[in-house]
Amino acid sequence: MAGPDVFIVGVGMTRFGKQPERDTVELGAEAVRGAVEDAGIDPRRIEGSYCGHVFQGMATGQRVLARVGLAGIPLANVENACSSGATALREAYIAVRAGEHDVVLAFGTEHLTSRFKGAFTPNEDDLEAAVGLTMPAIYAMRARRYLEDFGVTREQLALIPVKNKRNAALNPLAQFQEQITVEDVLASRPIADPLRLLDCSPVSDGAAAAIVVSAAVARSLGNGRAVRLAASALRTGALEVEPGPMTFEPLTRDTAADAYARAGVGPEDVGFAEVHDCFTIAEALRVEGLGLFPRGEYLQAVERGEADIGGRLPVNPSGGLLGKGHPLGATGVAQVVELVRQLRGEAGSRQIAGAKVGLAHCRGGKAAGIEGAACTVQILVR
Amino acid sequence: MSHTEQETTTPAWVPLRPGVLELGPDGQGHLLGSRCPACGACFFPPVEVCARCLNGELERAPLGTRGTLYTFTVVHQSTPAFPAPYVLGYVDLPEGVRVLGQIAGVEPDDVRIGMELALSVEPFAPDEEGRQVLGYRFHAAPEDDGGA
Repeated sequence: MAGPDVFIVGVGMTRFGKQPERDTVELGAEAVRGAVEDAGIDPRRIEGSYCGHVFQGMATGQRVLARVGLAGIPLANVENACSSGATALREAYIAVRAGEHDVVLAFGTEHLTSRFKGAFTPNEDDLEAAVGLTMPAIYAMRARRYLEDFGVTREQLALIPVKNKRNAALNPLAQFQEQITVEDVLASRPIADPLRLLDCSPVSDGAAAAIVVSAAVARSLGNGRAVRLAASALRTGALEVEPGPMTFEPLTRDTAADAYARAGVGPEDVGFAEVHDCFTIAEALRVEGLGLFPRGEYLQAVERGEADIGGRLPVNPSGGLLGKGHPLGATGVAQVVELVRQLRGEAGSRQIAGAKVGLAHCRGGKAAGIEGAACTVQILVR
Repeated sequence: MSHTEQETTTPAWVPLRPGVLELGPDGQGHLLGSRCPACGACFFPPVEVCARCLNGELERAPLGTRGTLYTFTVVHQSTPAFPAPYVLGYVDLPEGVRVLGQIAGVEPDDVRIGMELALSVEPFAPDEEGRQVLGYRFHAAPEDDGGA
């Protein structure tokens, strides 16, 4: 489908981490102010807004806008499990692409320490929750089957959080600032066998924001820092007609196919990726579903350093969810913040050399009978 | 859903979730899925529309009680409703559905991908109104009849 180009001209995010002394509105407002300042745009030019969050209650986005003096413009709150922020960004993309607005604010905010402790469960009405399913258990079962099917080891799986926390230590906004070892992962307490605490993304508070604009507005700002949002794809998990291998993600593959087609690029063009590593095994399932690494071979690639900053295809240079943190509604926007900073060459000590095409993948939610609730893939091109 | 005739008798038990299991005349329970008479696809938990061909007239499908363990985990951190640790696994039933359930009576170290398991309908904790709730668990299958 033809349509006008869409650009991101400003991004902002708060530090991610446990911040019980703050609240979701304050975090959201900080991220929005940061994005407006980064864009160098008069905030009165913002014509519409979308806010992603999961557990923050009624009218969260409106409360954030009121805090920054932007009340009065259209706003919709978006809940799409862990893809809420990414979906808010996609709504902004659609609004600009459709010609409805020229300047749209997308943000996500989540204060989880005031809402949750411990393992997440699917919606309690769900049958699988009623027999004891937790989110870590889903990924633990996928990990066990992956390790068995592809003959990789528990130690190799532990290389993922080691890499991501090494990257996070280069990101001042990341929740974790210390590097860890494979031994640390294996010695952390068991959550759902074979996954341990350091295989799991943490409870985090944080917010992130982006200013999405038309080509005319991007040109008018004239600062040369706009990055093109070449695709923003969303899919919902299909009902499973026959049980497939839990070591591969058709939902990720199909969402990526939509995004590649729209952006006119293929997996071979992607220079780096931020993917939804809510658990260690998830990173392998994502990048293989996206077609960035051959199926069943990602952990060996990580072992060879291919996914490192400086490797063939850096994965989660920001630290990912494992290292940077995972404030649900903010996560999908924060991934795009990292893409923009990398593509502009503003990523500091974690800068990827020569990055031209970045991909962000988010995926969340589970219900009995479907593969996953919501999956997004965004492709940014410099 | 509309509230039609007021129930006048209290059922002896309620299923864990509506419509997911029943007891046979012999008192042995099994799960209930949905089968599409048009294309043959089978679903669990039950659905109203076939995801393959969109047929809206599905049949109730009693599911077999023997299956093969696809994968499993030992849950160490859970919610208060489920004291950890417990073994949780996805079991492939002969009708082509994959069912999540707890695996009871098997030491975690003895659980293996590919093992044969038998489903039994069993009491779970009573609901908020004090009613008997029937759920299901998997156990090691007896080896005498070859299984599914």
